[in-house]
Amino acid sequence: MGLKEDLIKLKEEAKKLIGSVKDKKSLDEIRVKYLGKKGEIKKVLKSLSKLSPDERREIGKIANDIKDEIEKLLKDKLAILKEKELEEELKKSKVDIHLPADWVELGHQHILTKTLQEIVDIFIAMGFSVEEGPEVEREEYNFDMLNIPKDHPARDMQDTFFINKEGYVLRTHTSPVQIRTMLKNKPPVAIVAPGRVYRKDMDPTHTPMFHQIEGLLVDENITYRDLKGTLQKFLQEVFGKNIKIRLRPSYFPFTEPSFEVDISCTICSGLGCRVCKGTGWLEVLGSGMVDPNVFEAVGIDPEKYTGFAFGLGIERIAMLKYRVPDIRLFYYGDLRFIKQF
Amino acid sequence: MKVPYSWIREFVDIDKSAEEVVDRLNETGLEAIVETFGEYIPELTTVRVLSVKKHPERDKLYICEATDGRKKYQIITGADNVVENSIVLMAKVGAKINGIIIKERNFGSYKSEGMFLSLEELGLADTSEGIWLLPEDTPIGVDGSELLGLGNEKIIEIDITPNRGDALSVKGLAREIGAIFNIKRKDYKANVLILDELIPNISVDTEKCYRYRGVIIRDIEIKPSNLDIQLKLLKSGQKPINNIVDITNYILLQEGQPLHAFDLDKIKGKVIVRNAKDGEKILALDGNEYNLKGTDIVIADENGVIAIAGIIGGENTKVDENTKNILLEAANFDYISVRKTSKRLGISTESSYRFERGVDIESLAEAQDKAIEMILKFGGSNSKAVGQKDIYPNPYTPKKIRLREKTVERVIGVNISKEECAEILNRLEIPTSVIDDGTISKIPAFRSLDITREIDLVEEVGRLKGFNDIPEDYPRISIEIDKNISYYQFERRSRDYFIDNGVNEIITYSFVGEDIYKDLGLPLPEIEITNYLTKDFRFMRDNLTVSLIQVIKENLRHQVKDISVFEISSVFFKDYEEIRLGIALTGKTVKGFSFTNENVSYNTTKSWDFLKVKGLILNYLKLFNIKDINLNYSKKAYLNPYESADIYVNGKEIGYFGKIHPKIAEKVEIPKDTYLAELKLKYVPRELRETVLKDGYIYSIYTNAYTPIFKDLPKYPSVKRDLAFEVDEDVSVKEIFEGLRKESNLIENIRLFDIFYLNNNKKSVAVSVEFRDKNKSLSDEDVNLEVENILQKLRDKIKGLKLRG
Repeated sequence: MGLKEDLIKLKEEAKKLIGSVKDKKSLDEIRVKYLGKKGEIKKVLKSLSKLSPDERREIGKIANDIKDEIEKLLKDKLAILKEKELEEELKKSKVDIHLPADWVELGHQHILTKTLQEIVDIFIAMGFSVEEGPEVEREEYNFDMLNIPKDHPARDMQDTFFINKEGYVLRTHTSPVQIRTMLKNKPPVAIVAPGRVYRKDMDPTHTPMFHQIEGLLVDENITYRDLKGTLQKFLQEVFGKNIKIRLRPSYFPFTEPSFEVDISCTICSGLGCRVCKGTGWLEVLGSGMVDPNVFEAVGIDPEKYTGFAFGLGIERIAMLKYRVPDIRLFYYGDLRFIKQF
Repeated sequence: MKVPYSWIREFVDIDKSAEEVVDRLNETGLEAIVETFGEYIPELTTVRVLSVKKHPERDKLYICEATDGRKKYQIITGADNVVENSIVLMAKVGAKINGIIIKERNFGSYKSEGMFLSLEELGLADTSEGIWLLPEDTPIGVDGSELLGLGNEKIIEIDITPNRGDALSVKGLAREIGAIFNIKRKDYKANVLILDELIPNISVDTEKCYRYRGVIIRDIEIKPSNLDIQLKLLKSGQKPINNIVDITNYILLQEGQPLHAFDLDKIKGKVIVRNAKDGEKILALDGNEYNLKGTDIVIADENGVIAIAGIIGGENTKVDENTKNILLEAANFDYISVRKTSKRLGISTESSYRFERGVDIESLAEAQDKAIEMILKFGGSNSKAVGQKDIYPNPYTPKKIRLREKTVERVIGVNISKEECAEILNRLEIPTSVIDDGTISKIPAFRSLDITREIDLVEEVGRLKGFNDIPEDYPRISIEIDKNISYYQFERRSRDYFIDNGVNEIITYSFVGEDIYKDLGLPLPEIEITNYLTKDFRFMRDNLTVSLIQVIKENLRHQVKDISVFEISSVFFKDYEEIRLGIALTGKTVKGFSFTNENVSYNTTKSWDFLKVKGLILNYLKLFNIKDINLNYSKKAYLNPYESADIYVNGKEIGYFGKIHPKIAEKVEIPKDTYLAELKLKYVPRELRETVLKDGYIYSIYTNAYTPIFKDLPKYPSVKRDLAFEVDEDVSVKEIFEGLRKESNLIENIRLFDIFYLNNNKKSVAVSVEFRDKNKSLSDEDVNLEVENILQKLRDKIKGLKLRG
């Protein structure tokens, strides 16, 4: 056997060993065994001195080629082993992706402010501004200037809370914000005014405090038709395009003519059910054309300007929309309720 | 008010169903519903009682024999009022009464073949005493259900708005329905003879009585009313009493004119309509005694008050079974006065309900005559009207109102010709004629309170024309309108912040009671409700903390222990109200999900602590660019003084946050690790109504956000240095931070990374300081010098400060 054969044998041997090696340490041992200073290849090269220059050149070249070849094999194998090792490592730290998240659970917005926000946003998108007013309100703004004189039966429509502050009441509706706005701003006026209101009442559908949103649009050439269009659009945005609306002439002291506005029942689609008491209609808001007496009270010329106003109970809308059966649930702060929405 | 539809149809020839009529009433402005009168009861018949004898074996029971004209029945009844010869309603075997099927039944050794019925058992009254004795004119042996109209008669119930008193009668409804369907209303005139034999001695001494007509009727006979009257009253929800009282109620329902009958023989001397004297008393027909005031109107005789005008009669002049002669009153009183009195005394009667909403003064005599006609017919054969007096000093003069065609168009948005307007108004019995630019109407008395202006006529025209048929349009909302939405956006941003940080929004009543204030050792709120509902709803809260504590308790009651809630709401003081944000946190900070399909939470959640709460609050203030914030230990009695802080902005206290005082926690029974916070939201720039540039920030009303304008990015690198200071234990880290900042203008950032306590009342505070010079790269040398420089200055200012090795 010659050196050449020895070398080829070495190569075959190394190749086999590298192929079967399982870890970096053994791979390194192979490297030392064949390519180390005292390794097999070196041994072969050392014995070259005994050979003729031609043979030396030939065998030397073969030895170098084989060395390169083994080095490449070792490098490739190392890459594979590293890859495997990483894979093992990653596998060890595998997470159960179904574990609960380690991040603060979102809080819940109260369903009333969610409802209110939606309503206000619809009107903002239509071009309305948002106004506020105090909850302890001047009697004059809450009643007199809204065309509800003292001793008028209309004052009985809203059972008022009186307080130990002369000339003030807990506002019974958001309508006084109309007065405050019109005293401050000249037409055109387009506002909505959300807020808390108070009436002396307590049962599953009435609480002594609830939320209303008031709307007012005053300009030249505003008619009943604009009122109808605006409310129709608004209610369809809130309850869906398929609902129908109905305006029933009614009475509010600060509007004339006045309307109760019904929507087709959202539960039974107008067929008649318990919620709509078989009528197929649900009363959702009150509205009307601003009464000339109100314009006169705030110094706006009723011969020049007309306007419409409306008011709705946020609780009523939320109860209908989200099917909340008892109005009192809104106010307990019971997280089992709050977290449903 | 409810009345049978058939009664209305006596006054208007209409062939529409009650349902159709009710729909149209609703569409034109009278809230109405239709219901069926009772339920059809099979095997119900009228019988005459032939004999009544006591049950020999059973106390309190009677054995009766009755006939339907064909067959005899033996009925056992417990009704004490059963008498021989009376006509009663009998449920035969097979009839279903209140869900129970009537069967033959033995009471002792006697068999009962049915049951005599009371109004209550028929479902016609809430309560009743004894069985219903039917009037003499009732046929026997007929189908009882058919006779009564059970399950067949349609009842229309209307709920009027306060301006439509004119519709509170059969006549008024007939007028309205006639106008809607364009059918002329029918009416009749009473044909009565009133003699001049005995003119009642009446005087009116008050301006609040606009008309008073008294008529004396003599020799009447008190007895039950006939079947028609009784049935109409029952169907209208009223209980028949006797012929005289029933007739006054009947006419009130039919004509809308309240009437009152006094027993003439119980009146002493002259009848005077006057203001009450303060302190005067009356025992009224409802059995209550009322204290009167000078502002009340009364009917009085020489002995005192005999009725509260327009509201209720007195027991002292009540018509009873022995009454022979009556004074029949028809009057018209000031609606405001009636309303005030009825409200103050807490009495609401059919009469006061109508007077408060306006009664037609012009139809007074006509309605009263109809009552007299009925009394003479049904009140005994000898009865006669012997005299009358009608005091009506200022007869009604109709107001004339012009309606311009252009006003109709301005308000409703469509043109309705003046001819059509006039036609509609005339249909409503408002006499109207066409003039040059519109119409002119004479407002009749029955609408005089409601229709006083042109706009009121616009409404009448519109509602009869049919508002729902007028097409909608959309307003062109002027874009020049100033938008004032910054506060709205601020609240929204605030809410979103807390919600995103795991805090839940709640809404609680603005009302509070005394107890919680006592528990917290706080003075009672300034605003007190004088007519409060319950003691827990007596005051308007002046802080949110009191309500939040109650919410914690409410949740603990339901085993919810991890509670993080906030509320944004007003609080109230005598001179002002302000919006506040209140927060209450206890238990763990919850991590995980709460989606509908994956409701799990993380099991290594942490409890709230002071620094977490501080972070929650200060980050919130940062959102709105609030600067110059200072904290001081809070002295609020309900807070733990060592773990709570008052917050100052620009030197003004704006709120607090911290831990509840353990003594208070114990008293109000909530966990001791409860953290509370409350902030005044006044500092928020809600008055800004336009985009402005201020102190290097742009403010936007649309987002309620301050956004800074661009600053140059740093050109040179920063250098970090870790410094460990040794200071006296009671030195706050704040002193170190502020000292560092003050003494160097090269410091960009300071980060605290360690605090620990040493012996000898010292502590070590380790910070990482980032230095940067705007104009050059800092060398190590530069930084060393700067540190040396800072230390030099701080040594004198901070107790025991040294740099640790």
